[in-house]
Amino acid sequence: MAFRPRRALAVFWKDFLDLRKNVGLLVSMAVLPAVMVLVPIVVVWTYVNTPNSADLRSVAQFYDPTLPLGASAARFLIDKTLTDWFGLFLVMPVFVPILIASQSVAGEKERRTLEPLLASPVTAAELVAGKSLAALVPAVVITWVAFIVFCVGVDIVAWPLVQGPLMPNALWTFGVLVIAPLFAFFGNGVAVLISARVSEARMAQQISALVVLPLVGMVGGQVAGVLKAGLGFYALQGAVVLVLDAVLLVASIRLLDRERLISRWG
Amino acid sequence: MSGIDVRGLGKRFGDRVAVEGLTFHVRPGEVFGLLGPNGAGKTTTVRMLTGLLSPSEGEAVVWGHRADRDGEGLRKVVGLLTEQPGLYERLTARENLRFFMKLHELDEAKAWPRTQHYLERFGLGGREEEPVGGFSKGMRQKLAIVRTLVHDPRVIFLDEPTSGLDPESARTVRDAVAELASEGRTIVLCSHNLSEVERLCERVAVVKKRLLLMGPVRELRRSGQALDVRVDGEAERFRNVLAALPFAPNVLAEGMRLRVMLEDEAHAPDVLACLVGAGARVHSAVPAQRPLEEVYLDLLREEGA
Repeated sequence: MAFRPRRALAVFWKDFLDLRKNVGLLVSMAVLPAVMVLVPIVVVWTYVNTPNSADLRSVAQFYDPTLPLGASAARFLIDKTLTDWFGLFLVMPVFVPILIASQSVAGEKERRTLEPLLASPVTAAELVAGKSLAALVPAVVITWVAFIVFCVGVDIVAWPLVQGPLMPNALWTFGVLVIAPLFAFFGNGVAVLISARVSEARMAQQISALVVLPLVGMVGGQVAGVLKAGLGFYALQGAVVLVLDAVLLVASIRLLDRERLISRWG
Repeated sequence: MSGIDVRGLGKRFGDRVAVEGLTFHVRPGEVFGLLGPNGAGKTTTVRMLTGLLSPSEGEAVVWGHRADRDGEGLRKVVGLLTEQPGLYERLTARENLRFFMKLHELDEAKAWPRTQHYLERFGLGGREEEPVGGFSKGMRQKLAIVRTLVHDPRVIFLDEPTSGLDPESARTVRDAVAELASEGRTIVLCSHNLSEVERLCERVAVVKKRLLLMGPVRELRRSGQALDVRVDGEAERFRNVLAALPFAPNVLAEGMRLRVMLEDEAHAPDVLACLVGAGARVHSAVPAQRPLEEVYLDLLREEGA
Protein backbone atom coordinates (compact mmCIF):
# COMPACT_ATOMS: atom_id res chain seq x y z
CA MET A 1 0.00 0.00 0.00
CA ALA A 2 1.58 3.24 -1.15
CA PHE A 3 1.59 6.25 1.13
CA ARG A 4 -0.44 9.02 -0.55
CA PRO A 5 0.42 12.43 0.97
CA ARG A 6 -2.79 13.89 -0.50
CA ARG A 7 -4.92 11.63 1.66
CA ALA A 8 -2.84 12.34 4.77
CA LEU A 9 -3.25 16.06 4.06
CA ALA A 10 -7.01 15.55 3.70
CA VAL A 11 -7.12 14.08 7.21
CA PHE A 12 -5.00 16.99 8.47
CA TRP A 13 -7.27 19.50 6.70
CA LYS A 14 -10.44 18.01 8.21
CA ASP A 15 -9.02 17.73 11.74
CA PHE A 16 -7.59 21.24 11.62
CA LEU A 17 -10.92 22.63 10.40
CA ASP A 18 -12.73 20.76 13.15
CA LEU A 19 -10.27 22.09 15.73
CA ARG A 20 -10.79 25.69 14.57
CA LYS A 21 -14.53 25.29 15.18
CA ASN A 22 -14.15 23.59 18.57
CA VAL A 23 -14.33 26.59 20.90
CA GLY A 24 -14.17 24.52 24.09
CA LEU A 25 -10.98 22.82 23.01
CA LEU A 26 -9.41 26.11 21.84
CA VAL A 27 -10.06 27.65 25.26
CA SER A 28 -8.50 24.62 27.02
CA MET A 29 -5.51 24.94 24.72
CA ALA A 30 -5.07 28.64 25.46
CA VAL A 31 -5.07 28.34 29.26
CA LEU A 32 -1.81 26.39 29.58
CA PRO A 33 0.36 28.70 27.42
CA ALA A 34 -1.05 31.73 29.25
CA VAL A 35 -0.02 30.24 32.60
CA MET A 36 3.36 29.09 31.26
CA VAL A 37 4.16 32.62 30.06
CA LEU A 38 2.62 34.78 32.76
CA VAL A 39 3.86 32.97 35.89
CA PRO A 40 7.62 33.27 35.20
CA ILE A 41 7.23 36.87 34.04
CA VAL A 42 5.52 37.74 37.33
CA VAL A 43 8.21 35.86 39.31
CA VAL A 44 11.02 37.70 37.49
CA TRP A 45 9.16 40.98 38.02
CA THR A 46 9.02 40.38 41.80
CA TYR A 47 12.76 39.63 41.91
CA VAL A 48 13.51 42.78 39.91
CA ASN A 49 11.38 44.89 42.25
CA THR A 50 12.91 43.57 45.48
CA PRO A 51 16.59 43.17 44.54
CA ASN A 52 17.92 43.86 48.03
CA SER A 53 15.55 41.70 50.03
CA ALA A 54 17.29 39.57 52.64
CA ASP A 55 14.87 36.76 51.89
CA LEU A 56 16.08 36.63 48.31
CA ARG A 57 19.66 36.18 49.46
CA SER A 58 18.62 33.35 51.83
CA VAL A 59 16.82 31.55 49.00
CA ALA A 60 19.76 32.09 46.63
CA GLN A 61 22.21 30.75 49.21
CA PHE A 62 20.03 27.68 49.70
CA TYR A 63 20.64 26.84 46.06
CA ASP A 64 24.26 28.01 45.97
CA PRO A 65 25.97 28.38 49.35
CA THR A 66 29.10 29.67 47.54
CA LEU A 67 27.25 32.66 46.09
CA PRO A 68 29.66 35.64 46.53
CA LEU A 69 28.47 38.42 48.82
CA GLY A 70 28.80 40.98 46.04
CA ALA A 71 26.71 39.00 43.58
CA SER A 72 23.10 39.98 43.06
CA ALA A 73 20.77 37.39 44.61
CA ALA A 74 17.94 38.68 42.42
CA ARG A 75 19.95 38.13 39.26
CA PHE A 76 20.99 34.65 40.47
CA LEU A 77 17.38 33.71 41.15
CA ILE A 78 16.20 35.13 37.82
CA ASP A 79 18.74 32.93 36.00
CA LYS A 80 17.73 29.92 38.10
CA THR A 81 14.03 30.55 37.50
CA LEU A 82 14.57 30.76 33.75
CA THR A 83 16.56 27.51 33.73
CA ASP A 84 14.14 25.61 35.95
CA TRP A 85 11.08 26.94 34.18
CA PHE A 86 12.23 25.45 30.90
CA GLY A 87 11.46 21.96 32.28
CA LEU A 88 7.92 23.04 33.09
CA PHE A 89 7.56 24.87 29.77
CA LEU A 90 8.09 21.49 28.06
CA VAL A 91 4.79 20.36 29.56
CA MET A 92 3.07 22.59 26.98
CA PRO A 93 4.29 20.89 23.79
CA VAL A 94 3.46 17.54 25.39
CA PHE A 95 0.04 18.50 26.70
CA VAL A 96 -1.43 20.42 23.75
CA PRO A 97 -1.14 17.50 21.30
CA ILE A 98 -2.66 15.23 23.95
CA LEU A 99 -5.72 17.50 24.05
CA ILE A 100 -6.03 17.54 20.26
CA ALA A 101 -5.09 13.97 19.37
CA SER A 102 -7.36 12.44 22.02
CA GLN A 103 -10.29 14.33 20.51
CA SER A 104 -9.39 13.47 16.95
CA VAL A 105 -8.87 9.71 17.37
CA ALA A 106 -11.13 8.67 20.26
CA GLY A 107 -13.57 11.39 19.10
CA GLU A 108 -14.02 9.54 15.78
CA LYS A 109 -15.23 6.53 17.75
CA GLU A 110 -17.52 8.58 19.97
CA ARG A 111 -19.14 10.37 17.04
CA ARG A 112 -19.47 7.13 15.04
CA THR A 113 -17.49 8.67 12.16
CA LEU A 114 -14.81 5.99 12.25
CA GLU A 115 -16.49 3.42 10.00
CA PRO A 116 -17.22 5.76 7.07
CA LEU A 117 -13.67 7.09 7.40
CA LEU A 118 -12.13 3.60 7.38
CA ALA A 119 -14.35 2.61 4.45
CA SER A 120 -12.45 5.19 2.35
CA PRO A 121 -9.11 4.34 0.70
CA VAL A 122 -7.08 6.08 3.45
CA THR A 123 -4.38 3.81 4.93
CA ALA A 124 -3.38 3.49 8.61
CA ALA A 125 -0.09 5.32 7.95
CA GLU A 126 -1.90 8.19 6.19
CA LEU A 127 -4.40 8.39 9.03
CA VAL A 128 -1.64 8.53 11.65
CA ALA A 129 0.29 11.11 9.61
CA GLY A 130 -2.75 13.35 9.04
CA LYS A 131 -3.98 13.16 12.61
CA SER A 132 -0.48 13.65 14.02
CA LEU A 133 0.11 16.71 11.85
CA ALA A 134 -3.20 18.17 13.00
CA ALA A 135 -2.06 17.82 16.61
CA LEU A 136 1.62 18.72 16.13
CA VAL A 137 1.33 21.86 14.01
CA PRO A 138 -0.89 23.74 16.51
CA ALA A 139 1.21 22.46 19.44
CA VAL A 140 4.51 23.61 17.97
CA VAL A 141 3.09 26.93 16.74
CA ILE A 142 1.54 27.61 20.16
CA THR A 143 4.84 26.72 21.86
CA TRP A 144 6.84 29.01 19.58
CA VAL A 145 4.40 31.90 19.91
CA ALA A 146 4.34 31.44 23.70
CA PHE A 147 8.15 31.39 23.67
CA ILE A 148 8.31 34.68 21.76
CA VAL A 149 5.83 36.31 24.15
CA PHE A 150 7.76 34.84 27.08
CA CYS A 151 11.11 36.24 25.83
CA VAL A 152 9.68 39.69 25.21
CA GLY A 153 7.89 39.73 28.58
CA VAL A 154 10.92 38.56 30.57
CA ASP A 155 13.24 41.04 28.82
CA ILE A 156 10.87 43.94 29.47
CA VAL A 157 10.41 43.21 33.19
CA ALA A 158 14.09 42.26 33.76
CA TRP A 159 15.59 45.22 31.87
CA PRO A 160 15.75 47.65 34.86
CA LEU A 161 17.94 45.16 36.75
CA VAL A 162 19.87 43.46 33.96
CA GLN A 163 20.21 46.43 31.59
CA GLY A 164 20.22 44.07 28.61
CA PRO A 165 18.33 41.18 27.01
CA LEU A 166 18.23 37.94 29.01
CA MET A 167 16.21 35.94 26.54
CA PRO A 168 16.42 34.01 24.30
CA ASN A 169 19.39 32.18 25.77
CA ALA A 170 21.09 29.05 24.36
CA LEU A 171 19.13 26.56 26.49
CA TRP A 172 15.74 28.01 25.60
CA THR A 173 16.51 28.51 21.91
CA PHE A 174 17.80 24.96 21.49
CA GLY A 175 15.07 23.59 23.70
CA VAL A 176 12.14 25.33 22.04
CA LEU A 177 13.35 24.80 18.48
CA VAL A 178 14.60 21.20 18.82
CA ILE A 179 13.41 19.52 22.03
CA ALA A 180 9.87 20.94 22.12
CA PRO A 181 8.87 19.45 18.73
CA LEU A 182 10.25 16.07 19.88
CA PHE A 183 8.20 16.31 23.06
CA ALA A 184 5.14 17.34 21.03
CA PHE A 185 5.59 14.24 18.89
CA PHE A 186 5.85 12.19 22.06
CA GLY A 187 2.64 13.62 23.54
CA ASN A 188 0.85 13.04 20.25
CA GLY A 189 2.13 9.46 19.98
CA VAL A 190 0.99 8.61 23.49
CA ALA A 191 -2.45 10.15 22.87
CA VAL A 192 -2.92 8.34 19.53
CA LEU A 193 -1.88 5.05 21.11
CA ILE A 194 -4.19 5.43 24.09
CA SER A 195 -7.05 6.81 21.98
CA ALA A 196 -6.88 3.70 19.84
CA ARG A 197 -7.48 1.57 22.91
CA VAL A 198 -10.14 3.49 24.85
CA SER A 199 -13.62 4.47 23.76
CA GLU A 200 -13.89 8.08 24.97
CA ALA A 201 -11.86 11.17 24.21
CA ARG A 202 -12.00 12.34 27.82
CA MET A 203 -10.65 9.04 29.10
CA ALA A 204 -7.88 9.16 26.49
CA GLN A 205 -6.95 12.69 27.62
CA GLN A 206 -6.89 11.76 31.28
CA ILE A 207 -4.73 8.68 30.82
CA SER A 208 -2.39 10.35 28.29
CA ALA A 209 -1.93 13.37 30.53
CA LEU A 210 -0.17 11.16 33.08
CA VAL A 211 2.97 11.32 30.89
CA VAL A 212 3.60 14.92 32.01
CA LEU A 213 4.10 13.74 35.60
CA PRO A 214 7.80 12.80 35.13
CA LEU A 215 8.41 16.28 33.70
CA VAL A 216 6.72 17.95 36.64
CA GLY A 217 8.67 15.64 38.97
CA MET A 218 11.97 16.73 37.42
CA VAL A 219 11.10 20.38 37.85
CA GLY A 220 10.18 19.60 41.45
CA GLY A 221 13.64 18.08 41.85
CA GLN A 222 15.23 21.24 40.43
CA VAL A 223 13.22 23.52 42.73
CA ALA A 224 14.11 21.32 45.72
CA GLY A 225 17.77 21.67 44.73
CA VAL A 226 18.17 17.90 44.18
CA LEU A 227 18.57 18.07 40.41
CA LYS A 228 20.64 20.47 38.34
CA ALA A 229 19.41 20.45 34.75
CA GLY A 230 21.20 22.34 32.01
CA LEU A 231 21.63 22.20 28.26
CA GLY A 232 23.37 18.80 28.36
CA PHE A 233 20.65 17.27 30.53
CA TYR A 234 17.90 18.43 28.18
CA ALA A 235 19.86 17.34 25.09
CA LEU A 236 20.11 13.84 26.60
CA GLN A 237 16.43 13.93 27.46
CA GLY A 238 15.69 14.96 23.85
CA ALA A 239 17.68 12.00 22.52
CA VAL A 240 15.73 9.57 24.72
CA VAL A 241 12.44 11.12 23.59
CA LEU A 242 13.53 10.81 19.94
CA VAL A 243 13.90 7.04 20.38
CA LEU A 244 10.52 6.86 22.15
CA ASP A 245 8.96 8.86 19.29
CA ALA A 246 10.11 6.28 16.76
CA VAL A 247 8.69 3.44 18.89
CA LEU A 248 5.39 5.29 19.33
CA LEU A 249 5.10 5.97 15.59
CA VAL A 250 5.43 2.29 14.69
CA ALA A 251 3.05 1.27 17.49
CA SER A 252 0.46 3.89 16.44
CA ILE A 253 0.40 2.69 12.84
CA ARG A 254 -0.05 -0.90 14.03
CA LEU A 255 -2.79 0.02 16.48
CA LEU A 256 -4.73 2.11 13.97
CA ASP A 257 -5.15 -1.00 11.88
CA ARG A 258 -8.63 -1.13 10.31
CA GLU A 259 -9.49 -4.62 11.43
CA ARG A 260 -8.52 -3.95 15.03
CA LEU A 261 -10.40 -0.65 15.21
CA ILE A 262 -13.53 -1.93 13.51
CA SER A 263 -13.80 -5.21 15.37
CA ARG A 264 -13.25 -3.44 18.68
CA TRP A 265 -15.11 -0.16 18.19
CA GLY A 266 -17.05 -0.18 14.95
CA MET B 1 -15.24 -9.26 -12.80
CA SER B 2 -18.17 -6.90 -12.18
CA GLY B 3 -20.65 -7.23 -9.38
CA ILE B 4 -19.97 -9.24 -6.22
CA ASP B 5 -18.82 -12.84 -6.13
CA VAL B 6 -18.72 -14.50 -2.72
CA ARG B 7 -17.57 -18.10 -2.17
CA GLY B 8 -17.50 -19.86 1.18
CA LEU B 9 -16.96 -16.56 2.96
CA GLY B 10 -16.59 -16.71 6.74
CA LYS B 11 -15.36 -14.64 9.65
CA ARG B 12 -14.36 -15.66 13.15
CA PHE B 13 -13.47 -13.39 16.06
CA GLY B 14 -11.37 -15.69 18.23
CA ASP B 15 -13.55 -18.74 18.86
CA ARG B 16 -16.77 -16.95 17.96
CA VAL B 17 -18.14 -17.58 14.49
CA ALA B 18 -19.74 -14.43 13.07
CA VAL B 19 -20.57 -15.87 9.64
CA GLU B 20 -19.58 -18.99 7.75
CA GLY B 21 -19.90 -20.56 4.34
CA LEU B 22 -21.60 -17.66 2.55
CA THR B 23 -21.80 -18.13 -1.20
CA PHE B 24 -23.68 -15.78 -3.51
CA HIS B 25 -23.28 -13.60 -6.56
CA VAL B 26 -24.76 -10.17 -7.18
CA ARG B 27 -24.92 -8.89 -10.73
CA PRO B 28 -24.17 -5.35 -11.94
CA GLY B 29 -27.40 -3.37 -11.99
CA GLU B 30 -29.01 -5.59 -9.37
CA VAL B 31 -30.45 -4.49 -6.02
CA PHE B 32 -29.79 -7.37 -3.63
CA GLY B 33 -31.33 -7.60 -0.17
CA LEU B 34 -29.27 -8.94 2.71
CA LEU B 35 -31.68 -9.86 5.48
CA GLY B 36 -31.36 -11.40 8.88
CA PRO B 37 -32.10 -10.73 12.53
CA ASN B 38 -29.81 -8.56 14.66
CA GLY B 39 -26.49 -10.29 15.27
CA ALA B 40 -26.95 -12.56 12.24
CA GLY B 41 -23.70 -11.42 10.64
CA LYS B 42 -25.03 -8.95 8.04
CA THR B 43 -22.80 -6.12 9.23
CA THR B 44 -19.76 -8.42 9.40
CA THR B 45 -20.50 -9.59 5.85
CA VAL B 46 -20.78 -6.01 4.59
CA ARG B 47 -17.57 -5.08 6.42
CA MET B 48 -15.74 -7.89 4.67
CA LEU B 49 -17.14 -6.85 1.31
CA THR B 50 -16.08 -3.22 1.87
CA GLY B 51 -12.52 -4.07 2.91
CA LEU B 52 -12.97 -3.18 6.58
CA LEU B 53 -12.49 -6.73 7.84
CA SER B 54 -10.47 -9.56 6.31
CA PRO B 55 -12.29 -12.82 5.79
CA SER B 56 -11.17 -15.76 7.93
CA GLU B 57 -12.16 -18.19 5.20
CA GLY B 58 -13.42 -18.24 1.64
CA GLU B 59 -13.08 -15.40 -0.82
CA ALA B 60 -14.97 -12.37 -2.02
CA VAL B 61 -14.35 -10.45 -5.23
CA VAL B 62 -16.02 -7.04 -5.43
CA TRP B 63 -15.93 -5.40 -8.84
CA GLY B 64 -12.70 -7.22 -9.65
CA HIS B 65 -10.98 -6.56 -6.31
CA ARG B 66 -10.32 -9.38 -3.87
CA ALA B 67 -11.41 -8.42 -0.37
CA ASP B 68 -8.50 -10.23 1.30
CA ARG B 69 -5.72 -8.87 -0.95
CA ASP B 70 -6.74 -5.53 -2.39
CA GLY B 71 -8.60 -3.67 0.33
CA GLU B 72 -7.46 -0.26 -0.88
CA GLY B 73 -8.53 -0.88 -4.49
CA LEU B 74 -11.80 -2.30 -3.26
CA ARG B 75 -12.56 0.72 -1.10
CA LYS B 76 -12.16 2.96 -4.15
CA VAL B 77 -15.05 1.27 -5.95
CA VAL B 78 -17.45 0.74 -3.06
CA GLY B 79 -19.67 3.19 -1.24
CA LEU B 80 -20.86 2.37 2.26
CA LEU B 81 -23.81 3.93 4.04
CA THR B 82 -23.48 2.89 7.68
CA GLU B 83 -26.42 2.56 10.05
CA GLN B 84 -25.35 5.78 11.84
CA PRO B 85 -24.76 8.73 9.46
CA GLY B 86 -21.34 9.38 11.09
CA LEU B 87 -20.94 13.00 9.99
CA TYR B 88 -18.64 15.68 11.40
CA GLU B 89 -21.10 17.94 13.17
CA ARG B 90 -18.96 21.07 13.47
CA LEU B 91 -18.22 21.00 9.74
CA THR B 92 -20.65 22.20 7.12
CA ALA B 93 -22.31 19.83 4.65
CA ARG B 94 -19.90 21.02 1.95
CA GLU B 95 -16.86 20.47 4.18
CA ASN B 96 -18.04 16.96 5.06
CA LEU B 97 -18.39 16.09 1.40
CA ARG B 98 -15.13 17.78 0.39
CA PHE B 99 -13.28 15.70 2.99
CA PHE B 100 -14.41 12.49 1.37
CA MET B 101 -13.62 13.85 -2.10
CA LYS B 102 -10.09 14.53 -0.88
CA LEU B 103 -9.78 11.05 0.65
CA HIS B 104 -10.76 9.62 -2.73
CA GLU B 105 -8.30 12.00 -4.42
CA LEU B 106 -11.02 13.37 -6.69
CA ASP B 107 -10.80 16.45 -8.83
CA GLU B 108 -13.27 18.55 -6.84
CA ALA B 109 -14.18 20.71 -9.84
CA LYS B 110 -15.41 17.58 -11.62
CA ALA B 111 -16.90 15.83 -8.60
CA TRP B 112 -18.96 18.81 -7.37
CA PRO B 113 -21.56 19.01 -10.15
CA ARG B 114 -22.47 15.34 -9.61
CA THR B 115 -22.57 15.82 -5.84
CA GLN B 116 -24.61 18.99 -6.23
CA HIS B 117 -27.09 17.01 -8.32
CA TYR B 118 -27.59 14.54 -5.45
CA LEU B 119 -27.83 17.35 -2.90
CA GLU B 120 -30.60 18.96 -4.96
CA ARG B 121 -32.31 15.64 -5.45
CA PHE B 122 -32.39 14.94 -1.72
CA GLY B 123 -33.63 18.44 -0.89
CA LEU B 124 -30.33 19.66 0.55
CA GLY B 125 -29.60 22.21 -2.15
CA GLY B 126 -28.82 25.60 -0.57
CA ARG B 127 -27.92 24.01 2.80
CA GLU B 128 -24.30 23.26 1.86
CA GLU B 129 -22.78 25.98 4.04
CA GLU B 130 -24.70 25.04 7.20
CA PRO B 131 -23.01 23.07 9.99
CA VAL B 132 -24.30 19.52 10.06
CA GLY B 133 -24.88 19.82 13.83
CA GLY B 134 -27.99 21.89 13.03
CA PHE B 135 -29.45 19.30 10.61
CA SER B 136 -32.46 17.12 11.44
CA LYS B 137 -32.05 13.34 11.63
CA GLY B 138 -33.52 12.93 8.14
CA MET B 139 -31.23 15.60 6.65
CA ARG B 140 -28.20 13.90 8.17
CA GLN B 141 -29.27 10.57 6.72
CA LYS B 142 -29.70 12.13 3.27
CA LEU B 143 -26.33 13.87 3.50
CA ALA B 144 -24.73 10.55 4.49
CA ILE B 145 -26.26 9.00 1.37
CA VAL B 146 -24.80 11.80 -0.77
CA ARG B 147 -21.41 11.24 0.90
CA THR B 148 -21.66 7.55 -0.05
CA LEU B 149 -21.99 8.61 -3.69
CA VAL B 150 -19.30 11.35 -3.97
CA HIS B 151 -16.75 9.06 -5.61
CA ASP B 152 -19.24 7.53 -8.03
CA PRO B 153 -18.95 4.00 -6.58
CA ARG B 154 -19.75 0.95 -8.69
CA VAL B 155 -20.92 -1.09 -5.70
CA ILE B 156 -23.04 0.48 -2.99
CA PHE B 157 -23.86 -0.99 0.40
CA LEU B 158 -26.81 0.64 2.13
CA ASP B 159 -27.60 -0.15 5.74
CA GLU B 160 -31.13 0.99 6.60
CA PRO B 161 -31.08 3.85 4.05
CA THR B 162 -34.54 5.19 4.87
CA SER B 163 -34.15 5.06 8.65
CA GLY B 164 -35.38 8.33 10.15
CA LEU B 165 -36.80 9.64 6.89
CA ASP B 166 -40.31 10.94 6.35
CA PRO B 167 -42.39 9.04 3.75
CA GLU B 168 -41.67 11.56 0.98
CA SER B 169 -37.91 11.49 1.57
CA ALA B 170 -38.00 7.69 1.86
CA ARG B 171 -39.62 7.53 -1.55
CA THR B 172 -36.94 9.88 -2.98
CA VAL B 173 -34.26 7.53 -1.61
CA ARG B 174 -36.00 4.46 -3.04
CA ASP B 175 -36.27 6.15 -6.44
CA ALA B 176 -32.59 7.09 -6.28
CA VAL B 177 -31.62 3.50 -5.42
CA ALA B 178 -33.58 2.21 -8.41
CA GLU B 179 -31.95 4.85 -10.63
CA LEU B 180 -28.45 3.99 -9.39
CA ALA B 181 -29.10 0.32 -10.16
CA SER B 182 -30.38 1.21 -13.61
CA GLU B 183 -27.00 2.86 -14.25
CA GLY B 184 -25.39 -0.57 -13.85
CA ARG B 185 -24.26 -0.27 -10.23
CA THR B 186 -24.52 -3.18 -7.84
CA ILE B 187 -26.49 -2.37 -4.73
CA VAL B 188 -26.69 -4.36 -1.51
CA LEU B 189 -29.47 -3.30 0.79
CA CYS B 190 -29.56 -4.30 4.46
CA SER B 191 -32.88 -3.43 6.00
CA HIS B 192 -35.43 -4.60 8.53
CA ASN B 193 -38.07 -2.77 6.52
CA LEU B 194 -39.21 -5.75 4.49
CA SER B 195 -41.85 -3.95 2.47
CA GLU B 196 -39.06 -1.67 1.27
CA VAL B 197 -36.89 -4.69 0.44
CA GLU B 198 -39.84 -6.19 -1.42
CA ARG B 199 -40.22 -3.03 -3.49
CA LEU B 200 -36.54 -2.53 -4.28
CA CYS B 201 -34.81 -5.89 -4.44
CA GLU B 202 -34.89 -8.45 -7.17
CA ARG B 203 -33.30 -11.11 -4.99
CA VAL B 204 -32.71 -11.49 -1.28
CA ALA B 205 -30.51 -13.62 0.94
CA VAL B 206 -31.47 -14.37 4.50
CA VAL B 207 -28.52 -15.01 6.78
CA LYS B 208 -28.21 -16.16 10.35
CA LYS B 209 -24.49 -16.78 10.66
CA ARG B 210 -24.92 -18.91 7.51
CA LEU B 211 -27.04 -18.55 4.42
CA LEU B 212 -30.57 -19.72 5.24
CA LEU B 213 -32.28 -18.86 2.00
CA MET B 214 -31.63 -17.02 -1.22
CA GLY B 215 -33.76 -16.37 -4.24
CA PRO B 216 -35.81 -13.91 -6.26
CA VAL B 217 -38.35 -12.04 -4.13
CA ARG B 218 -41.22 -13.05 -6.43
CA GLU B 219 -40.45 -16.74 -6.08
CA LEU B 220 -40.02 -16.56 -2.33
CA ARG B 221 -43.37 -14.89 -2.01
CA ARG B 222 -44.92 -17.63 -4.11
CA SER B 223 -43.52 -20.35 -1.87
CA GLY B 224 -46.63 -20.96 0.23
CA GLN B 225 -49.77 -19.09 -0.64
CA ALA B 226 -52.15 -16.64 0.85
CA LEU B 227 -55.84 -16.04 0.43
CA ASP B 228 -57.23 -12.51 0.50
CA VAL B 229 -60.82 -12.56 1.74
CA ARG B 230 -63.16 -9.56 1.91
CA VAL B 231 -66.00 -9.83 4.40
CA ASP B 232 -68.81 -7.63 5.68
CA GLY B 233 -67.87 -5.58 8.72
CA GLU B 234 -64.75 -5.89 10.87
CA ALA B 235 -62.60 -8.76 9.66
CA GLU B 236 -60.92 -8.94 13.06
CA ARG B 237 -63.99 -10.82 14.43
CA PHE B 238 -63.08 -13.90 12.41
CA ARG B 239 -59.38 -14.14 13.20
CA ASN B 240 -59.74 -16.47 16.17
CA VAL B 241 -62.24 -18.69 14.35
CA LEU B 242 -59.75 -19.23 11.53
CA ALA B 243 -56.81 -19.67 13.86
CA ALA B 244 -58.71 -22.58 15.49
CA LEU B 245 -58.74 -24.55 12.21
CA PRO B 246 -56.77 -27.85 12.33
CA PHE B 247 -54.05 -26.47 10.04
CA ALA B 248 -53.84 -23.25 12.19
CA PRO B 249 -53.21 -20.68 9.48
CA ASN B 250 -51.54 -17.38 10.18
CA VAL B 251 -54.15 -14.64 9.76
CA LEU B 252 -53.80 -10.88 9.31
CA ALA B 253 -56.92 -8.71 9.65
CA GLU B 254 -57.22 -5.16 8.42
CA GLY B 255 -60.58 -3.39 8.06
CA MET B 256 -62.85 -5.67 6.00
CA ARG B 257 -59.89 -7.69 4.72
CA LEU B 258 -58.42 -10.96 5.96
CA ARG B 259 -55.14 -12.33 4.68
CA VAL B 260 -54.90 -16.05 5.45
CA MET B 261 -51.53 -17.74 4.95
CA LEU B 262 -51.87 -21.28 3.66
CA GLU B 263 -49.41 -24.11 3.78
CA ASP B 264 -51.44 -25.87 1.13
CA GLU B 265 -53.70 -24.43 -1.56
CA ALA B 266 -56.17 -27.27 -0.85
CA HIS B 267 -57.06 -25.64 2.46
CA ALA B 268 -58.72 -22.63 0.76
CA PRO B 269 -62.25 -24.19 0.65
CA ASP B 270 -61.95 -25.08 4.37
CA VAL B 271 -61.14 -21.46 5.16
CA LEU B 272 -64.17 -20.21 3.24
CA ALA B 273 -66.47 -22.86 4.76
CA CYS B 274 -65.26 -21.91 8.21
CA LEU B 275 -65.93 -18.22 7.60
CA VAL B 276 -69.41 -18.84 6.24
CA GLY B 277 -70.11 -21.20 9.15
CA ALA B 278 -69.08 -18.43 11.55
CA GLY B 279 -71.62 -16.10 9.93
CA ALA B 280 -69.33 -14.10 7.68
CA ARG B 281 -70.74 -12.61 4.50
CA VAL B 282 -67.90 -13.21 2.04
CA HIS B 283 -67.66 -10.64 -0.75
CA SER B 284 -64.60 -12.00 -2.48
CA ALA B 285 -61.76 -14.50 -2.02
CA VAL B 286 -58.66 -14.06 -4.15
CA PRO B 287 -55.41 -16.08 -4.10
CA ALA B 288 -52.51 -13.79 -3.21
CA GLN B 289 -48.77 -13.92 -2.71
CA ARG B 290 -47.45 -14.03 0.81
CA PRO B 291 -45.73 -10.85 1.92
CA LEU B 292 -41.95 -11.19 2.21
CA GLU B 293 -42.28 -10.52 5.91
CA GLU B 294 -44.30 -13.73 6.35
CA VAL B 295 -41.78 -15.76 4.37
CA TYR B 296 -38.95 -14.26 6.41
CA LEU B 297 -40.58 -14.81 9.79
CA ASP B 298 -41.58 -18.40 8.92
CA LEU B 299 -38.02 -19.09 7.92
CA LEU B 300 -36.64 -17.74 11.18
CA ARG B 301 -39.26 -19.69 13.14
CA GLU B 302 -38.26 -22.89 11.34
CA GLU B 303 -34.63 -22.11 11.99
CA GLY B 304 -35.29 -21.50 15.67
CA ALA B 305 -37.45 -24.67 16.07
